[in-house]
Amino acid sequence: MTAGEVTQPKPQGFRIQDLPGKIWSNYVLRRIVRALVIIWLITTIIFFVIRLMPGNAFDLMVADMVVNRNMTEDEAKIRASSLLRINFNRPIGEQYLEYMSNLAKGDLGYSFINNNRTVQELLAQKLPWTLFSVGTSLMISFTLGMLLGMIAAYKRGSWLDHLITNFAAAMDAIPQYIYAIVLVLLLGVIWKIMPVMDMKGVLSPGIKPGFTFEFIWDALMHLRVPAFVYVLSTVGNWALSMKSSTLSTLGEDYVTVARARGLSDSRIITSYVGRNASLPLVTALALSVGFALGGSVVIESVFNYPGIGLELSKSLSNRDYPMLQGIFLITTTSVIFTNLIADLIYGWLDPRIRIAGGE
Amino acid sequence: MDAISTIFKEIWKTLRLIAMNKMGLLGFIMIIFFILMSFVGPYVVAPDLQAHVKEINQGPSVKHPLGTDFQGKDNLVQIVHGGRDILTIAFLAGLMTTFIAVLVGSFSAFFGGMVDTVLMEITNFWITIPKFPILVIVASTAKLTNLWLLALLLAMLSWGGFARQVRSQILSLKKREYVEAAQLLNLGPLHIIFREMLPNMMPFIATSLIFAMTSAIYSQTSLVFLGLVPFSGSNWGIMLSSAFAKGALYQKDAIWSVIAPVGAIALFQLSLVWFSRSLEEVFNPRLRSGV
Amino acid sequence: MMLAQQETNLPPTISIKNLSIDYKAKRGQVQAVRNISFEVDRGEAMALIGESGSGKTTIGLGVVGLLPPTAKIRQGEIIYRRAADGKIVDEIDVLKLNPQQIRQFRWKECAMVFQGALNAFNPVLRISDQFADTASAHNALRGMALKERATEILHMVRLDADRVWRSYPHELSGGMRQRVLIALSLLLEPQLIIMDEPTTALDVLTQRNIMDVLKDLRKNLNFSLIFISHDLSLAAELADKVSTVYAGKIVELGDVYTVFRNPYHPYTIGLIHAVPTLAGRKEDLTSIPGSPPDLINMPTGCKFHPRCPLADDQCKTQEPDLEEIGKGHRVACWKWQTARETLKRFKAS
Repeated sequence: MTAGEVTQPKPQGFRIQDLPGKIWSNYVLRRIVRALVIIWLITTIIFFVIRLMPGNAFDLMVADMVVNRNMTEDEAKIRASSLLRINFNRPIGEQYLEYMSNLAKGDLGYSFINNNRTVQELLAQKLPWTLFSVGTSLMISFTLGMLLGMIAAYKRGSWLDHLITNFAAAMDAIPQYIYAIVLVLLLGVIWKIMPVMDMKGVLSPGIKPGFTFEFIWDALMHLRVPAFVYVLSTVGNWALSMKSSTLSTLGEDYVTVARARGLSDSRIITSYVGRNASLPLVTALALSVGFALGGSVVIESVFNYPGIGLELSKSLSNRDYPMLQGIFLITTTSVIFTNLIADLIYGWLDPRIRIAGGE
Repeated sequence: MDAISTIFKEIWKTLRLIAMNKMGLLGFIMIIFFILMSFVGPYVVAPDLQAHVKEINQGPSVKHPLGTDFQGKDNLVQIVHGGRDILTIAFLAGLMTTFIAVLVGSFSAFFGGMVDTVLMEITNFWITIPKFPILVIVASTAKLTNLWLLALLLAMLSWGGFARQVRSQILSLKKREYVEAAQLLNLGPLHIIFREMLPNMMPFIATSLIFAMTSAIYSQTSLVFLGLVPFSGSNWGIMLSSAFAKGALYQKDAIWSVIAPVGAIALFQLSLVWFSRSLEEVFNPRLRSGV
Repeated sequence: MMLAQQETNLPPTISIKNLSIDYKAKRGQVQAVRNISFEVDRGEAMALIGESGSGKTTIGLGVVGLLPPTAKIRQGEIIYRRAADGKIVDEIDVLKLNPQQIRQFRWKECAMVFQGALNAFNPVLRISDQFADTASAHNALRGMALKERATEILHMVRLDADRVWRSYPHELSGGMRQRVLIALSLLLEPQLIIMDEPTTALDVLTQRNIMDVLKDLRKNLNFSLIFISHDLSLAAELADKVSTVYAGKIVELGDVYTVFRNPYHPYTIGLIHAVPTLAGRKEDLTSIPGSPPDLINMPTGCKFHPRCPLADDQCKTQEPDLEEIGKGHRVACWKWQTARETLKRFKAS
C-alpha cells in the first residue's frame, strides 16, 4: 500500500512515428514548435496580403508610384519588386520561396522613402528605443500594479481597496493619448513644471549615444513623461488582475493551512500568496507586450519619440510598404518570442504544467 | 407577452440593485445623459458651421460654456454633435465582438474534442498577435468611411479574450443538471446553447458587451486621433486631433478645445466602467464587499 | 501508553470555558458558538459531532486563532497547558496572545489538520520545502535533522518518505496528501492536534486507510486530539469522549461508550440512528427530519425543538442547560429521562 500509487513509466524503444507525440508531450519543445509555426503562419499571411489579395500592397505601391512619381507601370513594377526583394515576374511558388529565404537571411528589402537604406537597418535603429521605453514602463507598471492589487486584496472592503479599485478601473478605460495630452497640458502648459521640449524626442541636442552617464541620464529624462503615460494607462489593469488573482488565492486552503502552520506573514505573502497569485499575470505580461507595442504608435507620435511606433505612422502616411511589412513582422515576432519566454517562465514557476517525470 | 413582462421585471430588479451602488447609479445616469445628448441633442442644438474669427480660442463664458476652438466654433455645440458616431460604433462593435465571442466560445466548449482544440488554437493565435498595428494598417489602406465596417473591423480584432471567457463559462454550465437533462432529451446543440445556456450567461454577456464597448471607444478614438479614420463632420476624436494639430497643447488660450473632447471621452468611458462594475457586483454576489 | 498513564493526573491539555463566537453578516449576527465549555485531557481524544453549520469548525479555528475577520469572540477563555517531564510547565490563555505569540503557538503547541485538505499544500513548492518552511517558522529543526524527523513521521503515516519528500503536491494522490498533512502536523510534536473532518472528500478505502493511520498514531504517540466530524461511526472508532454540537452549543457530552450505548438527547439519538451500517437495512435509517436552524434567527427555547418530536411548551420557551446525569455524562434536554423510550414508541407507531 505504501508506494502503490506510484505510476511507473512504461519502457519503450524509440520509434520515428512517436516523435510528434513525444515533442507534443514535452512542454518546452511543444511551446517552441508552436512559436515557430505561428511565425511561419504570419509570414505566409503577410506574403499573400502583399502579393495576392485584391487591393494588395504591391498593386497599391505600383499605382502610387505611377500617380505620384510619374513612372510608367513597368518601371514602377520593377522598382516595387526591387524594394520588396521579390521578383514578381516569376511563378507564385518561386516568389514565396524567394520571400521566405530572404526572411531567413534577415533581408527585409529596402525602405521606400529612405533611399538605399535597408528595412532591417532602419528597424535596428528604431527598435531599441521602443524596447527601452516599452520595457522600462512595462516593468514599472507591472510591479506597481501587482503591489496595488495585493494591497487592495489584503485590505478588501476598506477605503483603500475602494480607492485603488475604482481608480484602477477608471484609469484602465481611458485611452493613452488622453493621458499624453493631459500630462503635457498639466506639466508643460498649466503648471509649467518642465519645458515641453524636454518631453519630446529621445535625447537633447548634442548628446552622443554611448555608455556614458550623460547619455543614459538624458535618455531617462526624455523617457519620464512617455513612460508615465504608459504606466498610467496600464497600471490599472495590472492592479485589477492582481487583486482578483490574489483574492482567489487568499481563499485557497493552502493559505489557511500555512497560517495554521505558524508561518510568518512575510513568508505567506511572498511564497504562498504572491507566487501563486502572480502566475496568471505572467502570461498576461507577455500579451501586454503586444498591447504596449501597439500603444507606442500613439505615444511615440505625441512625443515625437523615434521608435517603431512613430516609424509605423510615418511609413503609413508615405505608403512605405516594405517598411510596414518589416515593422509588422518585427513586432509580431517579438510578441511571439516574449510569449514563448513567458510560457517557459510559467513552466518553471508552476511545476504542475511540467510533465510528470520530465525531470 | 409573458416573457416580455418577465424580462422587464428582471431589468427593473437589476436596475434597483444597481441603484444601491452609488457609482453604478452615477454611471447609469451618465450613460443615459450621453445617449440623450448625442442622439437627441443634435435636433435641439443647431450646429455651429461657420468660423467666427473674432471668437477664436476663448475660455468658458456664458455664451460659450466650454469655450471656442481655433476657428471660433463653440466647443459645447461640437461636443453635442460629435458623440453620435462614437457611440454608434462603440455599440455596434461591442455587439459584434460579443456575438463572435459567444459563437466561438460556445461552440468550442460545447463540442469539445477537435473542434475545441482547433478553435482555441486559433483564438490563442489571434490573441497573441499585436492588433493595433493591424488596425492601423487596415484602417489606413482601406478607406473606412462606413460606421459598420469600422465596427466590424474593431470586433474582428477584439473577440479573442472574450471567447475564452465564454468557453470557460459554458464548460462550467455544461455540468449543471438542467443542461445534462437537456442533453439526455436530445434537444440538439443549438437549442441547448441558445435556449438553456445563454440565458444563464446573460449577466456575463451584458458586462462583456460593455467592456467590448469601452475597448472599441479606446481603439476608434485612437485611430481618429492619429488621423487614420477620415470621418467627416464633428466627432470628439476629430475635435481633439485638430486641436492637437493646431498646437492647442502649447498655448494656454486653446486649452478648452482640448479639455472639452478629452472630458467627453473620459467621462463616457468612466460611466461605462462604473456601470459595468456595479453590474458585475449585482450578478456576482461574491464580489460584493463585506461578506 | 505508560506516559499517558503517568500524565492522567495532570490538568487537561486544553480547557475551553464559556466560549461564544459570533459572525457579522449582512442580515445580522450569526451565533456560531454559544457558551461552550469542555476539556480535553492528556492523551485523550474528544470528538465534536454535528451537522455542517453547527459551529464545530468555528471552535477549532477559535483555538488556533484563525477565525475570519468577521468573527468576534464575545466571551470565554481557552486555556492551553504544556506539560513536560510529568508536570505543567506553561499555561497559556490563547485568547490573550498577541499576533506574534499566537503565530508561535500554532503548529508548535496546537496543529490543525483541515477539512478537505486536498488543497492544503502550496502547489508550487516541494513537500520538502513546505516541511522546511514550517520548521523554520518555529526556529526548529533544519538540514539533516529535519530530513530525519520527516522521514520518521512520514513512515508513521505509511508513506514512502523519500519519494514524498521530493514531490510536488500535485504528484501525490488525495489520500497521500492527507497523510502528508497529518505527518506534517506531528513535525513539531504539538501536545494538541485538531482534526477537522480529516477523511471527508476521500473515497471509502482511503478513509479506512487514514483512520487506521490515526489509530496507530494515537496508540504510539501521546497527544491530545480534538476530532471534528459529522460522522458518528468515525468518532466512535477514534475518540474517548464525544460531544454532540447543535446550533453552536454542546447538547450532550460523555465518554464514547456511554453516549453510544445510552444517548439521552433526542438529537444524539437521531444521529446514532442516522448512521448506516453495512449490514443494516435501509429502512432502519431514520434520519432527523427538518434542517439545522438559521443561526441568525434562532428559535426560542431549546434550539432543537422545531425538529424534536418530544417538544412541549417548556421546550419552546426555555433553553435547557447541560445537566450532569451520570459520571461525566451531561445532557441539555428537558425530556432526557423519557426521550429514548418515547422515541422508540414513535418509531414503532
